[in-house]
Amino acid sequence: MKKISTAFASLAILSACQPAAQAPTAASEEAAVSASTIAEAMPTVPDFSGAWTTYRGAPAAAGAFSAPPGGPKLTAVAQAAVADYKSVTEGTDYSPGNACVGGGMPSSMLGSGGYPMEIIQRPDQLFVIYEAHSEMRRMFIDDKAQDPSQFFPERNGYSTAHWEGDRLIVDTVNLKTQVDSRYPHSAQATIHEEYYFDAPQPDGTPVLAADLTLTDPVWLEEPFTTTKRWQAMADYSVKSYECTEPKWLDDLIALYEAKGLTMVQE
Amino acid sequence: MKITHLIAGMMLSLLTAVPAFAHHSAVMFDFQNTVITEGKVVEVRFANPHMHLVLEVTDAKGTRNIEFEGHSRNNMSRQGLTPNLFKVGDAIAIRIAPMRNGNDGGYVTAVRGPDGTEVGRVTAAD
Repeated sequence: MKKISTAFASLAILSACQPAAQAPTAASEEAAVSASTIAEAMPTVPDFSGAWTTYRGAPAAAGAFSAPPGGPKLTAVAQAAVADYKSVTEGTDYSPGNACVGGGMPSSMLGSGGYPMEIIQRPDQLFVIYEAHSEMRRMFIDDKAQDPSQFFPERNGYSTAHWEGDRLIVDTVNLKTQVDSRYPHSAQATIHEEYYFDAPQPDGTPVLAADLTLTDPVWLEEPFTTTKRWQAMADYSVKSYECTEPKWLDDLIALYEAKGLTMVQE
Repeated sequence: MKITHLIAGMMLSLLTAVPAFAHHSAVMFDFQNTVITEGKVVEVRFANPHMHLVLEVTDAKGTRNIEFEGHSRNNMSRQGLTPNLFKVGDAIAIRIAPMRNGNDGGYVTAVRGPDGTEVGRVTAAD
């Protein structure tokens, strides 16, 4: 399993800040030796970087379904809100996806797989790109400088993370009220995730897992907990997901036609 | 015969593939049924979340243009779709989940280009 030494990465950044023309001295050579010793001694963390697709493993893994089975137990307030949403959208073409809008958390994470996700890991940030809708999450690792209350809420919220052993612990706040989610929740919702490598497939293919808990004092009767698994895609990278252009082109072509013009497209 | 392959592929895909996202209400399509339709491409847009396709079809009801939608550009690409598979004017075959109400149209799950290349998989709307 790949490992990144966060200590080593930090030291590399520090040394890059040193004056470039400094002549090597006995002291600096000694420092270099002790730095590499420290890097070897410091604990390393797993590297989750790569493209991940739907886990196809044990029968208990819900077959090929991307999202684990089950859903949150909604309060009466939430049920009423969701019923209204369904009453205006059911049987129509209206959905976030059809409008090129991402699912938001926790749907973006729990639904990923059929459309794969890519993780790019840096010592200070984990980027998660969900191919569907090109949704992207940033998990700020050991983030102490930013105050989430200063940011506007978003469908994927604001996520901070820290390592506990081989697990990346991620906490998400600043979510929006979402009636249009497979996991409806109010703006008071928070999400706790723990990412870790699970037992690999028999052929050695790495398996990434995440335990997720959605807590919502307003819309959920009780916290909703589930576990999601993915397996590595060795020979594939996540594609871009162009979705909004057709709508724009339709609008533009209509503008041309209104003036009796034809838009050059080829 | 190519159409046989389309159906064989369907049987395999049904066992393994389930959509992650249902962008479309999808209730209007009968995913338990498969129909092969042949026609001439009038218009095509490989797009997300759904492909848009218009074919000129001739059958017992006569000749007319029929509008279809289908799997996303990304998922069709994953099945091997390339921009050159077919172009406007080509004669192609498509495999669709037909409309439940029997009207023209359907949800395209696989396509066969003029050179015989087939891409796609049968699942519900994705």
